[in-house]
Amino acid sequence: MNLWAYTIRRLLLLIPTLLGLTLIVFILSHVSGNNVILAEYLSPKLTGAARAIATQALIARFHLNQPIYVQYFYWLNAILHGNWGYTNTAIYSGPVTTAIALFLPNTLMLSVVAAILIWIIGVRFGVYSAVNRDSVSDHALRVGSFTLYAMPIYLIGVALIIVLGVYLKVLPISGVVSPTMVSGLSWYVNGISYPTHIIIIDAMLHGAWGVALNAAIHLLLPAITLALAIVAGLIRILRSSMLEVLDQDYIRLARSKGLSERIVYNLHARKNALLPVITLFGLTVAGLLGGAVVVETIFNYPGIGYWTTQALLDSDVGGIMAATLLFGLILVVANLLVDLIYAFVDPRIRY
Amino acid sequence: MNEERAKRWDNTKLSIRVFLANRTALVGLIIVLIYVADALIMQFDPGLLGITQVNTLVPNFTNPVPLPPSWAHPFGTTFPGVDLYTSILKAIRIDLFYSILVVAVGAVAGAVIGVVSATVGGLLDETVMRITDIFFSIPYLILALAIGFILGRSLMYMSLALALVWWPLYARYTRSQTLSTKEFTYVEAAKASGVSRTRIMFRHILPNALPPVFIQISLDLGSIMVIFSTLAFIGFIANAKVPELGYLTSLGLNYVQTAPWAVIFPGVAITVFALAVNLLGDGLRDVIDPRRRS
Repeated sequence: MNLWAYTIRRLLLLIPTLLGLTLIVFILSHVSGNNVILAEYLSPKLTGAARAIATQALIARFHLNQPIYVQYFYWLNAILHGNWGYTNTAIYSGPVTTAIALFLPNTLMLSVVAAILIWIIGVRFGVYSAVNRDSVSDHALRVGSFTLYAMPIYLIGVALIIVLGVYLKVLPISGVVSPTMVSGLSWYVNGISYPTHIIIIDAMLHGAWGVALNAAIHLLLPAITLALAIVAGLIRILRSSMLEVLDQDYIRLARSKGLSERIVYNLHARKNALLPVITLFGLTVAGLLGGAVVVETIFNYPGIGYWTTQALLDSDVGGIMAATLLFGLILVVANLLVDLIYAFVDPRIRY
Repeated sequence: MNEERAKRWDNTKLSIRVFLANRTALVGLIIVLIYVADALIMQFDPGLLGITQVNTLVPNFTNPVPLPPSWAHPFGTTFPGVDLYTSILKAIRIDLFYSILVVAVGAVAGAVIGVVSATVGGLLDETVMRITDIFFSIPYLILALAIGFILGRSLMYMSLALALVWWPLYARYTRSQTLSTKEFTYVEAAKASGVSRTRIMFRHILPNALPPVFIQISLDLGSIMVIFSTLAFIGFIANAKVPELGYLTSLGLNYVQTAPWAVIFPGVAITVFALAVNLLGDGLRDVIDPRRRS
C-alpha cells in the first residue's frame, strides 16, 4: 500500500470515530432529559416570556418531542453548522464558538511550547540515561523520573510555584502578562488581545517586544509544569528503547568499523530508538490536553482548560459539553497526524 | 498428589524469595500496608489516633489562616483552620476506598467484557473494539469530568465516572491477553486430545490469561488515586467539607506564597502512595513473569 492509499483508508476510519465521539457527547446531554440540551442552547441573557418563546423554538428546532435517534441528527446538524450553544461562566458568557475562539489559541500555544520542552528534555535525558547505563547519573535520572511519574500534576505545579515563584522569585506565578505592561494598549482590551488572542504573537505583530517578552516569561511556569508531568514516561520508554537498539547487530557493525561513539549514538541508534516514542505521541497529546485543564487552572491561564473548570464550578453544562466535544476533536485529529507521520517514517506500518 | 503439593509450595517459596530480593518492592509493600492500616483504623476505631469526626473536615473559623507546623499541628493547618495531620489521616481512607471502587468496578466490567469479546469473536468483538475506540477519542480526565458532571458532583459519582472511563482499557488488555493465551501450544494440545471448548476456556486459558490482568489492575490503583484527587483538586466536589487529598490541596492553593506546607503535605501523601504502588508493581512483575526470575 502506498502512502496515499493508507492516508485515504485512515481518513475513512475517521468517520466512525467522529460519529462515536459526537454520540457520547449527545448521550451525555440527554440522559437526564431535555433540560440539559435546553440549558446548553438557551442564551443566558434571555429572561421571562422571551425565554419561554425561545424554549418552544428550541423544542421545535431540535425535535425534542421525537424519538432520540431523530434528535441526534438534528443536534449533529446544528454542531456541523457551528452552532454549539451557549456558555455562562464567570470568565465568559456568550456563544460557545466565541469562547473557543478566545481560549483555544492560548491552549494551543501552551501545548506547543510544552511539547517542544518534552521533546528536548525527553530525548536528551532518555538517550543520556541509556548511553550511561548504570552510572550514578543514570540512577539519579531513573529515580527522578519514577518520582515525577507518581506525582499528581498539581503537585508539580505548586512545587514549581514555591521554588521558582515564591523563594527564588524568578518567574511570575499567575496570568499571561503583567497588568501594568498592557494598560492603555489599543490591541489589548479587557484581558483579550487582538487579533490572534495569543498575547505573545499579538505583541510581536504590534512590535511591542517588551510585552512579548513579559508574556513569554509568564508562559514558562505553566509550560514547564505540563512538560515535567509528561516527560517522565517518555524518558523511561526512550531509555529502554535505546538500550534495545544499542544491542543490535548494525550498531555492533558501526562500532567495529571504528566509528566514534558519538556518531553511533546520534546517527545510528537514536533515530530507530525514537520510533516507539512516536506511537506514544498520541498518548502524550491526550496527557497534554488533560494536563492543560489542571495547569491552566493553577496558573489562571485563560485557555480551554481554565474555561472548562470554570464551567464546572459554575455548573455550566453548555461549557462542559462543548469542551468535551472540542477536546475529543483535537485528540482525534492529533491521533490522525501521529498515524500519518508514523506511516511516513516507518514504511512497515503501511502494509 | 503430595508431590504436586510440594512442588507448588516450592514455587510459592521461590516467588516470595524473588519478591523479597527486590528491596524497593519490599519498601513499596510496607508503605502500601501502612496506608491500608490507616484506612482500617479510620474505619473501625478512629479514636485510636485521637480522631472523632472521620467523615468531615473540622474547620476553625476563629483562626482560619494557615498556621505553620507545630507540636499541636504536626503538618500545620490549612484554610479555614483545618488541621492537616488529622485531615490527611482521614482523607487516606476516603481516597483509598473510592480508588478501590473505581478499580473494582472498572476492572471487573472491563475484564468480563474483554474475555467475552475475545471468546465469542466476530461481530461482537468488532463492536466492542469500536466502542472502546470511541472512549479513547476523548482525553480521560475531561470525559470523566463530563460524565461525573451529568451524574452529579459527589465522590460516589466521581468514582463511577472514572470507572466508566477506565473499563475500555481493561477490556482491551484482557482481550489481548486471552487471545495470545489461546495461541499457546498447550492449548492446541488440549484441543487435539479432545478436551471440550468450555473446559479449555475455564481450565486452560483463563487461569493463565487473567493473573497478569489482575496484577496490572491493582497496579493502577496508584495512578487512579492520583487522577481521583486531581478531579477533586480542580473543583469537582461541591461538598466543601469532605476530607479528600486533592480537595485538601486546593484549600491551601490561595496561600501557596505564605503557607507552602498547606499544599505540600496533602500532595506528598498522594505521591508517596502512588510511588509505593509502582515500586510494589515492579516487584510483582518479577514474580509473575518467569522470564525475569532467573
